[in-house]
Amino acid sequence: MDLPAQIRSGLQGQGLPPPSIAWIKTAMPNRNPLPPLPALIATVKTRFLAADLTNPALFDSPAPAFPPNASNPEVREVKLTWDIPVQVLDIENLSKSKWEQVEELEAIARGEQTRGREIIRLPTGDEEDEFAVDGQATQSAINGPERPGLQGKGGSAPAATRSSTHRLVLQDCKGQRLYGLELKRIDRIGIGTLNIGEKFILKRGAILARGMLLLDPATCTILGGKVEAWQKDWVEGRLTRLREAVEADGRDAC
Amino acid sequence: MRVLCVAEKPSIAKAVAGHLSGGDVQTHNTPEKYIKNYVFDYDFGRPWGKCKVTMTSVLGHLTTAEFPPEYKKWDYPPPDHLFDAPVNVVVAADKTKVADNIEKQARYANALCIWTDCDREGEHIGYEICEAARKGNRTLDIKRAKFSNIERAHIINASKNLITLDHKQVNAVASRIELDLRIGYAFTRFLTNSLRTLGGPFQNLLLSYGSCQFPTLGFVVDRYFRVRNFKPEPFWGIKVMHKREGIDVNFNWARHRLFDRAAVIILYERCLTAKTAKVTKVQEKPTKKWKPLPLTTVELQKMATRFLRMTGQQAMETAEGLYNKGFISYPRTETDRFDPGMNLRALVQKQTQSHAWGEFAQNLVDGRFQQPRQGRNDDKAHPPIHPITFAAPSVLNEQEKKIYEFVVRRFLACCSEDAKGVATDIDITYGEESFHAHGVVVLERNYLEVYVFDSSHGCQRDWNRRHYGRAHPKDSGKRLRSDRAQN
Repeated sequence: MDLPAQIRSGLQGQGLPPPSIAWIKTAMPNRNPLPPLPALIATVKTRFLAADLTNPALFDSPAPAFPPNASNPEVREVKLTWDIPVQVLDIENLSKSKWEQVEELEAIARGEQTRGREIIRLPTGDEEDEFAVDGQATQSAINGPERPGLQGKGGSAPAATRSSTHRLVLQDCKGQRLYGLELKRIDRIGIGTLNIGEKFILKRGAILARGMLLLDPATCTILGGKVEAWQKDWVEGRLTRLREAVEADGRDAC
Repeated sequence: MRVLCVAEKPSIAKAVAGHLSGGDVQTHNTPEKYIKNYVFDYDFGRPWGKCKVTMTSVLGHLTTAEFPPEYKKWDYPPPDHLFDAPVNVVVAADKTKVADNIEKQARYANALCIWTDCDREGEHIGYEICEAARKGNRTLDIKRAKFSNIERAHIINASKNLITLDHKQVNAVASRIELDLRIGYAFTRFLTNSLRTLGGPFQNLLLSYGSCQFPTLGFVVDRYFRVRNFKPEPFWGIKVMHKREGIDVNFNWARHRLFDRAAVIILYERCLTAKTAKVTKVQEKPTKKWKPLPLTTVELQKMATRFLRMTGQQAMETAEGLYNKGFISYPRTETDRFDPGMNLRALVQKQTQSHAWGEFAQNLVDGRFQQPRQGRNDDKAHPPIHPITFAAPSVLNEQEKKIYEFVVRRFLACCSEDAKGVATDIDITYGEESFHAHGVVVLERNYLEVYVFDSSHGCQRDWNRRHYGRAHPKDSGKRLRSDRAQN
């Protein structure tokens, strides 16, 4: 077996969809002598995870993609019949209002979450409001997730909580896009933790309901990676996108 | 021996004179119309012994700090010069009659006894009184009475255990006054002069700066912008309600709500497809609602604005009045723990004659009394706000009735027991979605009987009706049909 084929089977062994031999050749380091095989596989893997899946040279055709008519909202439920590699184009936290996210980003921009200059906004309710089990407050359990004003104490990116629900835009290698909704919480998915351009494998059996992929840790393997340029644009444009979306919502309501 | 006693305000002078003299007192007018001098005999015990006493008062601070006239012009010197300009402390123009009275009375006295309130400002006012008295008499023996209410036994006790002024507190206030003056002058001048050049509405505007009002203004402005800029956004959720034995049990969605309609519809459809929900957890646990902490000033103001329809300021004025009449302890305190040496049972006993809460107080006296919770704050000057004697409703005005009732009920609640109940938590899974219900049955109301000021917006009657959400452990694992689910 020649080197590219060995690399290909190495990648496959790690659960990655196998790239084309031609692409592997372009992704191999241009050094003489070449580093040992495990290092080569690691290098090509990193390049694969940083690549754009829609690059036609990446896979031997036909590459696994979303089934035809996948985005049809008339279809109540279908299960994927083969594994599909996808990449993340966008992530939204549906548990928080857009305005709350705008306020958070603005607070960070004003330096209000820099250590020593934090502005801590307390909830207006009374902490001792409820009967407490064995003297411990049950408030957080009752009030559900994310009471506004309590996050962002830690500094940089606001962490997603256990009960957050995110919606992703996922793209297959043909460039088709679908929404992916967190049906069960996947810890890696969160604004600030999940990268744009990150690669997933949607496994056979994953549910597609009304044109939306339902994500579950059992049927969704996160491979990692990111596309640096997309990530940068996404982070820089986030505040503007949120603001525009809020404005658009406001116009719809009128 | 002749002793001059000076209180912070006329009402305290009158009350203390009344207690010390036992009623045998001569009253003299002074040039200041609000201030009387009370003359009587009193035995302070050692070392002063039997004394001829003159009791009078000031009207708050006697002196004021100011810059010399050449610094008072708006255009010169520039604001930063005010930080090292000289500051003169002089008797305030409207307090000269008060200061003269003290100076004159000091001439006849051998000793001076300060009866100002026992807080930082009071300590500084005490020092101002010393200075005024020393102008008349440099050889005075000076003492200070330490008291936190004007109940008779407490006042007599204070008079027999005199202490000295705390100069650290005096200096703290003096520094605060000087900082307020320098910073206030400098920033007011800076803001006003800088903004006047903008013309228009700023032309004749005075923009004053204060080290408290400025940050407070910041909070108000911040809040204003948050409210003004707020953009409402629609959100969707799934409600599950189960009817059982005529009770509607509401289950809360674990996701709470989502800001996207399509996502919720899809999840909702999957619930409906599942048809039945499954109970995955039922847990019953004993639970408590803690009795409140002993009362501080801030808490009194908060509660008054929430439940008594009074502003914080009205509440404090009313509380001052009740303190001046000897019904409650000093209302300016940060302490939320009672000294273990205090005889709280005796104070509870005094409330047994009330028609409204007498029975509750009697139950405490008869054995249900419990030591109050200990908070974390102690200002080392005053105990938490508590009733001193029983005040019949007929001697109080409407505002005083409200505050007095609140102080007493809070105090009795502190001396009572935590409320006890049983909490039930139920988790269900409906399709792939999780829901949760929480309910409490109150078994013993205890302190809640007397403490009608509940934090859940005044509807304390709700505590009686908190039977919602009861379920039995035998339900666990059974299939539970949801009667209604809606988005």
